[in-house]
Amino acid sequence: MSLLEIRDLSVEFPAGENTVKAVSHVFFNVREGETFGIIGESGSGKSVIGLALLRLLPANANISGAVLFHGQDLFSLRPSELRKIRGKCISLMPQNPAGALNPVLKNRLQIEEVFEERGIDKKEGMKKSLRLMKKLLLKDPEKLCDLYPHQLSGGMRQRLVACMSLSFEPELLIADEPTKGLDPEAKEGAVELFTKIKKEYGKTMLLITHDLDLALEVCDRIAVMYAGEIVELDKASKVLGTPLHPYTKGLVRAQPRNGLVPLSGQSPSRISLPEGCLFHERCRYSGIECFRKHPEMKNHKGGWIRCHFQSLQ
Amino acid sequence: MILTLFAVCALTFFLMNVIPGGTAELVLKHTLVGLEDSVSKEQVNQISSRYNLDDPLYIQFFRWIKEAIVTGDIGTSYVFKKPVLYLLALRLPATIQLAGVSMVIAILAGVSMGIYSALKENRISDHILRIVTLFGVSMPGFWVALLLILIFSLKLKLAPVAGYGSLENLFLPAAALSLHSVAAVMRVTRISMLETLGQEYIRFAKAKGLPLWKIVSRHALKNAMLPVITVIGFQMGSLLGGAVVIEKIFAWPGIGSLLVDSISARDLPVVQGCVLAIVTMFLFVHFLVDMLYTHLDPRIRYG
Ligand SMILES: Nc1ncnc2c1ncn2[C@@H]1O[C@H](COP(=O)(O)OP(=O)(O)OP(=O)(O)O)[C@@H](O)[C@H]1O
Ligand code: SF4
Ligand SMILES: [Mg+2]
Repeated sequence: MSLLEIRDLSVEFPAGENTVKAVSHVFFNVREGETFGIIGESGSGKSVIGLALLRLLPANANISGAVLFHGQDLFSLRPSELRKIRGKCISLMPQNPAGALNPVLKNRLQIEEVFEERGIDKKEGMKKSLRLMKKLLLKDPEKLCDLYPHQLSGGMRQRLVACMSLSFEPELLIADEPTKGLDPEAKEGAVELFTKIKKEYGKTMLLITHDLDLALEVCDRIAVMYAGEIVELDKASKVLGTPLHPYTKGLVRAQPRNGLVPLSGQSPSRISLPEGCLFHERCRYSGIECFRKHPEMKNHKGGWIRCHFQSLQ
Repeated sequence: MILTLFAVCALTFFLMNVIPGGTAELVLKHTLVGLEDSVSKEQVNQISSRYNLDDPLYIQFFRWIKEAIVTGDIGTSYVFKKPVLYLLALRLPATIQLAGVSMVIAILAGVSMGIYSALKENRISDHILRIVTLFGVSMPGFWVALLLILIFSLKLKLAPVAGYGSLENLFLPAAALSLHSVAAVMRVTRISMLETLGQEYIRFAKAKGLPLWKIVSRHALKNAMLPVITVIGFQMGSLLGGAVVIEKIFAWPGIGSLLVDSISARDLPVVQGCVLAIVTMFLFVHFLVDMLYTHLDPRIRYG
């Protein structure tokens, strides 16, 4: 059964007279125990999906569709019910650990507060967190608690944030770009960290990233996003090993070990999307049909793909 | 800090002597109210030599500085014939009371209204507060004072026009003096709060499932207060400046009205003393602000 089911999720932001279409008609579900990846280049709408799930987008965002968690629609919850889900059932590991930690509060308080409002003894919670911190390769956690965030290194902050998101043992962890902005060494550490989280907790995870190595390493299934839409969705090994959609092919070829062939062109303006396939301006397989008609998601050998010519490739 | 004090003293000293009207002559006229025309040349000369007013300015100034540093004596009033320090000590409590109460009002009202306004961003109550405070920052203090007197004392007869001593007397001058600061503090608090509420750590705190009041009081307030504290420091300065006029209007027996009186009487030592007192208070407040800032922001404390 699916733990999380996303149905026709669209998010728009007003921008003056126009609207920015950040996410359009996204469908997918995350099964219990699996790690589901969302990849795509910067601005494709990955973070917006993650934030929309917990209703953390700014108030001006126009959200439509439904998000079912255990069959319950998160968008119809009252604020107090939503608070019970946030951090407890679903927790978010934000994109930028440096920004996610409050600079004027000690780390200890920021860890402790995960257990607030939950009827759990803070001391018990703290003990659990400290154990978790040790497991997550943080040395000397006690001392670390008495420091302020700016006194930690980037990798340590990342682990600390990971620890905060995990210490309540949520059913679903949404991790947004865990490797962004990390130096190569810390990046390797992050891969190790996520493999560890996955192995030891068997948690369901929604991993948002544009790090294909990390995605291949830890994800079971992957959705590829382009300009706010999902263009391909299948098992991780298939998406990254034998990509079908021209955009995914481009992404894979742009990897350093595949020769670093960058995708030419830019993704379209999100205020006025082009007619036809959103990718046609950059696609080398495009035909007449691609300019006229927007391709629908179609089932293809067990996976999903949004391309007029999926069977040709 | 010492340098600032020195510069301010020098500036007042020379400015006071640039204003037209011989010091000795004016002092005399002031003491002999009603008999101004009878002031004779000899009397003027007598005063001048008693206080060495004929010496070059810089000599007068350095004599004053020397006295101040060596004996702690900053002069004697020409008019009251009393030590300036004594006069200051007499008037200081009233000013501290007025400025202190105004500042407390400015902080409490300004900060709470700013937070409220930020939480209600772009709703009607936010717009109303912003328009009202726009008037607050743009109206000059003396005008507000006259308006308040007109409405509350003369029309509604709710508060005395002027005077000192009881709580009723404090009401109008404190309101007039603090209005500008309330508005200024409210506006920075609102902007700063809005900016803080858009930060990622606020979003993460929400993701942890914390209720809004905890997010505001624990995560947002401290961060949002950093720029507000700086503004409060500046407001304290403009408040002390504003007090000069407000005290005069409400006949409040503080340093401000003493300053105005002694300027028109050319009572130089007293002017000098008042300015010194006001600047010292101002610097003291800035020192406090710096301390508070360092206390609130660990990034400054630990470099
Ligand atoms: N608050 C907002 N207001 C207006 N537009 C927004 C807002 N948040 C996101 N967007 C727009 O939505 C689109 C998707 O943004 P999103 O942050 O989801 O991208 P992303 O895939 O996470 O990229 P990255 O890899 O850089 O994190 C972008 O075009 C962005 O400009
Ligand atoms: S629909 Fe056409 S343009 Fe779009 S990806 Fe497929 S081939 Fe390329
Ligand atoms: Mg993102």
